[in-house]
Amino acid sequence: MAATRSRWQVFSRICASTLGSYAFCWGFVALGGASLIAAGLEFHEASSLVSMLAFLLYLTTFCWAFIASSLALVWGVLAWGGALMALAAWWIARLMA
Amino acid sequence: MPDSALLAAALVCAVIGMSWLALAMDVHWDQVCDAPGSRRSIVVLRMLGASSLLGSLVLCLVADTATMAVLVWMMLLALAAVSVAFVLSTRPRILALLVGVSWRSCEPSSP
Amino acid sequence: MFANFRLSLTWLHTWFGLTLGFVLMVAFFFGSLSVFDREIDRWSLPDTRIEPQPMPSFDSILASRFAMITEPDTDQRDEAAKRVTAPLPGKLTARSWNAYTTHRDPVLLMYVGFEVPNSPLPEDTVYGDITIDPRDGRVLPEDRLALGSGFFYPMHYSLHITWHDLGYWIVGFAAMMMLVALVSGVVMHRKFFREFFTFRPGKRLLRSTLDLHNLTGVVALPFHFLWALSGLIIFAAIYFPVFETSLQPLVDQHEHEEAMHTGLDAKPSGVPGRLASVDAMMKVAKDHWASRGVPGEVGFLSVTHVGNSNAYVSIYRDSTDRVATAEGLHFEGSTGRVIFEDPPAGPIETVNAFLTGMHLQQFKHWTLRWLIFAGGLLSCACIATGFIFFVEKRKHVHAKQGRVGATCVDALAVTTVTGIVVATMFMLVMNRVLPEELARRGVWEKGAFWVAWLATLLHAAWRAPAVLQGRLSKAWAEQCRVIVLLGVAAVALNALTTGDHLGRTLGAGYWPVAGVDLLLLAAAGTAAIAARRLRQRAGDPRTELASIEEAERA
Repeated sequence: MAATRSRWQVFSRICASTLGSYAFCWGFVALGGASLIAAGLEFHEASSLVSMLAFLLYLTTFCWAFIASSLALVWGVLAWGGALMALAAWWIARLMA
Repeated sequence: MPDSALLAAALVCAVIGMSWLALAMDVHWDQVCDAPGSRRSIVVLRMLGASSLLGSLVLCLVADTATMAVLVWMMLLALAAVSVAFVLSTRPRILALLVGVSWRSCEPSSP
Repeated sequence: MFANFRLSLTWLHTWFGLTLGFVLMVAFFFGSLSVFDREIDRWSLPDTRIEPQPMPSFDSILASRFAMITEPDTDQRDEAAKRVTAPLPGKLTARSWNAYTTHRDPVLLMYVGFEVPNSPLPEDTVYGDITIDPRDGRVLPEDRLALGSGFFYPMHYSLHITWHDLGYWIVGFAAMMMLVALVSGVVMHRKFFREFFTFRPGKRLLRSTLDLHNLTGVVALPFHFLWALSGLIIFAAIYFPVFETSLQPLVDQHEHEEAMHTGLDAKPSGVPGRLASVDAMMKVAKDHWASRGVPGEVGFLSVTHVGNSNAYVSIYRDSTDRVATAEGLHFEGSTGRVIFEDPPAGPIETVNAFLTGMHLQQFKHWTLRWLIFAGGLLSCACIATGFIFFVEKRKHVHAKQGRVGATCVDALAVTTVTGIVVATMFMLVMNRVLPEELARRGVWEKGAFWVAWLATLLHAAWRAPAVLQGRLSKAWAEQCRVIVLLGVAAVALNALTTGDHLGRTLGAGYWPVAGVDLLLLAAAGTAAIAARRLRQRAGDPRTELASIEEAERA
């Protein structure tokens, strides 16, 4: 059993794993989809691939959020990673329009 | 051969295969027989088990298109494993009959 | 958060498995029943106990019936009225006509999509539907609830909570937690191969429950994983609506290119046009499939841009012999010539179609469908034994410390394990008991389900104090006995009210009704055995004492 585990820490972990993972996976779908389409992959092929992978990615980041020792690292990677990927995707979509 | 007969045969192969694999484990061999399994028979049992499961897959592939067959086989394996586990937990000796292990090798060497 | 990786995953498995487990029981139980949803429909709607029929003639039957659907479903219209920016006109324009049947359907579902003007959502559509007898086009009464496809099936993916798709999200999150529980379970279970076949019912309750939990979890692990994952993938557009929102420009671009490439316009022309013979188009489609070596029946038929000059008709094959869903043939509405044939799917779409088709199992392979049903029941067993293990491990400790945790979990477990079976059977019984001509009969039947389920929760709560003292709750055995009574009653009432008793249905080979009756009796039999075993265990002071010692050691 862990030595220190305040209620707030547990709550923050759960938020990181559920909401943080969602943000990260959203970014992945957006960036992955936009990049693949920009690279020439057919629209439905691209969107299906990233959607299917998104669920496996969520499974991974969700578990990682609890295994990782640093909560700050988890929040950093998931929230910032997700935001950056979404931003990059929006930029690529604009370039292609 | 009609599909239902092929699938029934596939199930039988799967059950026999799972039984052999179970008997390759010391704890289940001891449930079924009193004579401890030798090193050699464990390898043989595992190979027999694996080939029987493969045989089950082949029968499934003959009965249906590839994508359906793989799904059927996966589910038959689950059903076979659960059945073997239940037989082992209630009447383990039946497994011996099932795989043709001779009764003589199951008798204790000393009274 | 924890000292090591295994401890973290153990914590995850225990707490997320427990909380979402209650949702998962509902999803897997009603999911298993959904394998036989059309058969349960036949049982609950005796009028429809006929043989499955192919798609009937469009020109002589379907066209006039589509014209009869002039309004969408009132609930959907009211919901749409709340989200639009201007008041809805009295009459909405019909945008699409759709008809859907499979090899198991005696009756045909027809639905019309109506355009919702001034909506913030792109291509907002509401639907109105009717069900007809394909042999003569007779419209079946509307307020009859098909218990299988109309109640149990939607329950398993949405819990009937449609407010802002909340039910879909709850079930979706539960499905994801199932995947987490499977992965963490494998990590926790150190003897994965050694205990592959291990089940020791003679040992103490804690040990034999864990054995059964591990056995059912491991042996059907690919099934549990694939069905949870494919369920999520089917609703990917709900869970990750990325393309419809932040990447909308890409979608628009693609739609424009696709319309140019396929000749199928994305928007209606606005110019009125007439429809050529759709029967002729169906014949062309069937000949086409036969010439390709895959003869078949029409499974799905759709008319898009109804009434416009650029209307097109899409015809899809009922894919009974394949797992994946089929490609369609598209015809020009005014002339009947083939505009476009869907090309074979690319590799990724093929995987997607396979996973979707696998989950929905509409194919014609009764062995596989029964095996999938059995897999679903194994999932239920895995989840239920998980609850029982959780309670058994903690109830004596909690009893000593005066904590209510184990007691609450036990009561909720009773409700979601024996309780849902009670509620389901009670609904089937009421389906036979209620008068045939009762207005809004479906509402009464649904009410019966919810009331019965609530009653099982209250019953479980009433019997819960025993668990507070570290003993077995009597609710388990008592609800098992109720299941025996209800199961037998349902079969008897079917025989009494419709005359289709097992002797007749088995003799005639009418499997939909015979199958449901047999499953009801099998459930009653299982519950009877369970009730007897529970009584033996509750009456034996040695098992209680052994459990206390074991829990103290744990």
